[in-house]
Amino acid sequence: MDDFSNVFVDEDAENKIKNDFLYDILIIGAGPGGLTAGIYAGRSKLQTLIFERLASGGQIAVSDLVENYPGFPEGISGEELTKRIESQAVRFGSQLVQDEVRSIEKQDNIFLVKTASHGEVKAKAIIIATGADPVKLPVPEEEKFRGHGISYCATCDAAFFKDKIVAVVGGGDTAISDAIYLTKFAKEVIVIHRRDELRAVKALQDEAFSNLKIKFQWDSIPAHVVGNNKVEGIEVKNVKTGKSTVIEVNGIFAAIGTTPNSDIVKDIVKVTERGFIVTDQNRETSVKGIFAVGDVRNTPLRQVITAAGDGAIAEFAAEKYIKSIK
Amino acid sequence: MEKLLKEKDEKYIKELFEKNLEDPVELVLFLQGENGDKVTRFNSQYFSYTEEIVKELVALSDKVSLTVYKDNKEKEAEYKVKEISALFVEGKNTNKNVSYYGIPSGHEFSSLLEDIMDASKGKTSLSEKTKTELKRITEPTEILVFVTPSCPYCPRAVRTAHQMAMENDKINGVMIEANEFPEWSQKYSVQAVPKVIINDKVQFEGALPEDAYLENVMKGAGKIILK
Repeated sequence: MDDFSNVFVDEDAENKIKNDFLYDILIIGAGPGGLTAGIYAGRSKLQTLIFERLASGGQIAVSDLVENYPGFPEGISGEELTKRIESQAVRFGSQLVQDEVRSIEKQDNIFLVKTASHGEVKAKAIIIATGADPVKLPVPEEEKFRGHGISYCATCDAAFFKDKIVAVVGGGDTAISDAIYLTKFAKEVIVIHRRDELRAVKALQDEAFSNLKIKFQWDSIPAHVVGNNKVEGIEVKNVKTGKSTVIEVNGIFAAIGTTPNSDIVKDIVKVTERGFIVTDQNRETSVKGIFAVGDVRNTPLRQVITAAGDGAIAEFAAEKYIKSIK
Repeated sequence: MEKLLKEKDEKYIKELFEKNLEDPVELVLFLQGENGDKVTRFNSQYFSYTEEIVKELVALSDKVSLTVYKDNKEKEAEYKVKEISALFVEGKNTNKNVSYYGIPSGHEFSSLLEDIMDASKGKTSLSEKTKTELKRITEPTEILVFVTPSCPYCPRAVRTAHQMAMENDKINGVMIEANEFPEWSQKYSVQAVPKVIINDKVQFEGALPEDAYLENVMKGAGKIILK
C-alpha cells in the first residue's frame, strides 16, 4: 500500500487573499500550465495568486500514468506529478486559492476579477489556464445516466465496475489509457471507436491490442444508453453499414475529446468557433495583459509538456507586460 | 507492519504540524475484532492499515493524540458509529461530527491533515457568507460524502462537509470510502464519486464550488437561501 506518499496540503487557506491589494499576476486554473506559470512568477518575486475551482492538476490529475513527460523514464502518476508541480509553485511563493473566478473586467490597466467566495481581487495581468473538460457522451440518455453508469473519470470510478463489463468510447490517448486502467477492475473492456483505427499513440495501441481483456467495436458511434435504473447496455451504430447493435455493458467511460473552459472570457477575448482562446506567440490574447495557456488555448497539441511550456512563455511575457505599463 | 509513511513525507507533515497546530486534537478510531457485528470481508482488510497510518500520524506531533476503541459498544453508541472503521477528528470546533468511514488514504489523506489543522485552530476557510448561512441550520443535518482514494475531486467535497460540520455542530460531516462499504454505497446507488447526500433528501455528484454546495446543503436542511 503506497497511498500516503507525496503529501502536500494547502495550509493556511483562510485570510490569504488581500482584496485591496494590487496583485501582479492572477492565474486562473492550477493544472500544469497554470502551476508552471506560478513557478516562474514566484521565482520572479511577483505577487501571484493561482485560483483553482476543483482540484489541482486539471485533467492530468486523473491520469493513471504519464509516460511522455521528460525526466520520468518509468512514467509518473498524474497525481504525483501534480503534487510535485504544485509544491514547486508554492515553494517559490505563489499562493493557491480554492475558489472559482466568475468574471474578469479591465479598467484602465487594472483587471477586476470577481470570485465566488473571496469577493473582488485586483491584478495587473491575468493568465487563463482553465483547461478543458471532457465532451459529454452524445446520447439522449446522458443526463439520466451521468454518475449512474456513465463516467468521465476512470481513475475515480473504475472501482464501481469490479468484475463487470464496461465500454470505453473514444480512440485517443485518454480513451486507450482509460481502457488499459479499467482492465485492473472490469472483467471486459469494449473500446467503441468511430473509425477502424485508433488515434492513440502507438505505444498505447500496442499495449491495448496485447491486453486480452480489451475488445474493439470499430466504425461505431454511440446512439443510446439502454437501461431502466442502471446502465444495461449501449446501442451503437455502425457508420459504414448503418446497422445498430446493442452491446451489454454495466458502465460507460467516455473520452471523446475535450471542450475548452473559456466561458468566463469568451466575450472579452478572441476565441475560435469551438471556444479555444486565440493567442500570439507570447501566449497573449486579443486583450493586452490577458494570456492563455494549456488546453484552453487554440493549440495543435494538448499535453502536460505543452501546457507547462505555455505557462513559462506566458509568465515571461506577462512580466514584460507588467513592466511596460508602469 | 512496514511503515506506511515515507521519511520525506513524515518530515513534511512534522513541519506542517509544527507551524500550523495550536490546540490539541484527538483522533478517535473505532475498530472491531473479527467477530464484530460490522466486520465484512470488504472493510476488514483495511483495519490494520488504518490503525497503522493514524498511529504514524499522531507520532509526528505532541498536539495530536489517538484513542482507539475496539469492540467498545458503549463508545460506539456515544459517537453514533455507523460502520467500522470509523475515525473521528475531535478539536476545538467539533462535536463527534467530523468522521471518516474507511481508510483515509490516497487523496483523502490530505483531507485528514487539513481537518486536523482546522480542528486545532478552531476555524475554517469557508467564506463569511457560507458561515452566516450555516448558522440558520438548527436541526440535525447529515452530509454523506462517498469517495474513492484515487479521486482527485473528492477531497474538496469531503473538506467542505467537514468544515461545515466544524462551523455548526448540528451538521454531521461523514466521509465514506466506497470500496470498503459496498452495501452502503449500493443503498445510495453510488457509481461515481464524489457523491454527496444531504439528509437522504438532496444529492449531487461531482465537485461543486462552495456556494453551489451550500445551496444543496441548505436545501437538504429544508432552508432556502436568501439572496
